[in-house]
Amino acid sequence: LPAGGVSLRLCSTRVSLEGINKPVIDRIIRVDHAGEYGANRIYAGQMAVLGRSSVGPIIQQMWNQEKDHLKKFNELMVAYRVRPTVLLPFWNVAGFVLGAGSALLGKKGAMACTVAVEESISDHYNSQIRTLMEEDPEKYKELLQIIKQFRDDEREHHDIGLEHDAEAAPAYSVLKTAIQLGCKAAIFLSERI
Amino acid sequence: VRSQLYQPQRALQASAVLRRVSDEQKEPLASSQQQFDSHPTDHQPEKEPQGPRPSYTGQGGQESEDYESEEQLQHRILTAALEFVPQHGWTAEAIAEGAKTLGLSVAAAGMFHSDGSELILHFVSQCNTKLSELLEQEQKLVQLGKAEKKPTDQFLRDAVEARLRMLIPYIEKWPQALSILLLPHNIPSSLNLLTGMIDDIWQYAGDQSTDFNWYTRRAVLTGIYNTTELVMMQDSSPDFEETWRFLENRVADAMNMGNTANQVQSTGEAVVQGLMGAAVTVSN
Repeated sequence: LPAGGVSLRLCSTRVSLEGINKPVIDRIIRVDHAGEYGANRIYAGQMAVLGRSSVGPIIQQMWNQEKDHLKKFNELMVAYRVRPTVLLPFWNVAGFVLGAGSALLGKKGAMACTVAVEESISDHYNSQIRTLMEEDPEKYKELLQIIKQFRDDEREHHDIGLEHDAEAAPAYSVLKTAIQLGCKAAIFLSERI
Repeated sequence: VRSQLYQPQRALQASAVLRRVSDEQKEPLASSQQQFDSHPTDHQPEKEPQGPRPSYTGQGGQESEDYESEEQLQHRILTAALEFVPQHGWTAEAIAEGAKTLGLSVAAAGMFHSDGSELILHFVSQCNTKLSELLEQEQKLVQLGKAEKKPTDQFLRDAVEARLRMLIPYIEKWPQALSILLLPHNIPSSLNLLTGMIDDIWQYAGDQSTDFNWYTRRAVLTGIYNTTELVMMQDSSPDFEETWRFLENRVADAMNMGNTANQVQSTGEAVVQGLMGAAVTVSN
């Protein structure tokens, strides 16, 4: 009798959950979903302030990619029967405030925020990729592919941020450290609750 | 199908008791301090493993093909004990009687807590599994086109009713079970089983929410289930029709709540837009 094993039959929106490490996958999908949701809100906040400026189109483009990411994680969440983090309403507000707040510091401030967040996210995706590779690269092939692709996208956003003078932002290193600390806390909490 | 079998504890004591049991059965029947069946029935060869004594830590090679794990044995005893619950309640007596029908010593009841916790949790877990299987079958019929897809409110009503009907044979003793499930040491397990069941029902109802609605829906359904269960305890109408009517009203309330929430939101948005328009007009 499998202890704590969950078995599901195949269905159009669900994958077979036989033999997967449910607790690990649960965490990964929950926190990634929360992350993409937060990123969406951050870009929304930035657009609210800087939408009509010269960096508007760039931010919009990055935002669109995050929307695609979120959509994908919504699908994965349903497929793997994962519970979303209970902190979603909080990330909704916090993300928007962070985006708008950093944008109020100017275009470079917004870019600095982007650099900080995207660096955190790509590091985080990298450690997830490591975890899944250690578990069973074959079993989690599809998930690995998705996370790798997204990690590359986030890396690209990070580079775009740097290209647009993120480092020239006021109090860049302080800002970056603070934001990355916030991201670490958000990741820790969203994995668990 | 979610298989969420509750796993009884107290492994060390259990293995000692079982070894005693299998010892007793191997001895020639001189005196009989206990009343147990001396003729194990054919379909239960596992109690008397020939060859090496059952090992509870060994894997693979040490086990004969009929080897039954301790957990499986405990599940069988608890399942057999259910038959005696209407008479003895959720107690060690019922478990002892159940053990007897399997040809085991009544001392086997010593494997379990004296308050009947494991028996109740086992029963709940079994009911939840049966519900999942039922919903699974219904879903297959819909997928094959042999049945109509039910609207959400009816689906929820039918699922909760089906699950609560499983309590009917034990309804006299169910209040006792509920109070035992609320004991602090049982709360983690009973909560786990409850949330698992509610999640299952929503899954089959087609819930695909990935936002806070996920929590709202489950909280609402849990409330409906618990209150209906309590109403059922007090219900003396024929075939519990009062309970099902209560259930129908609660589910309708929940659906309305959803609609009302949407209406409030749209009204709010309309009001805001109206105010913005007014502000623009005034400023011009």
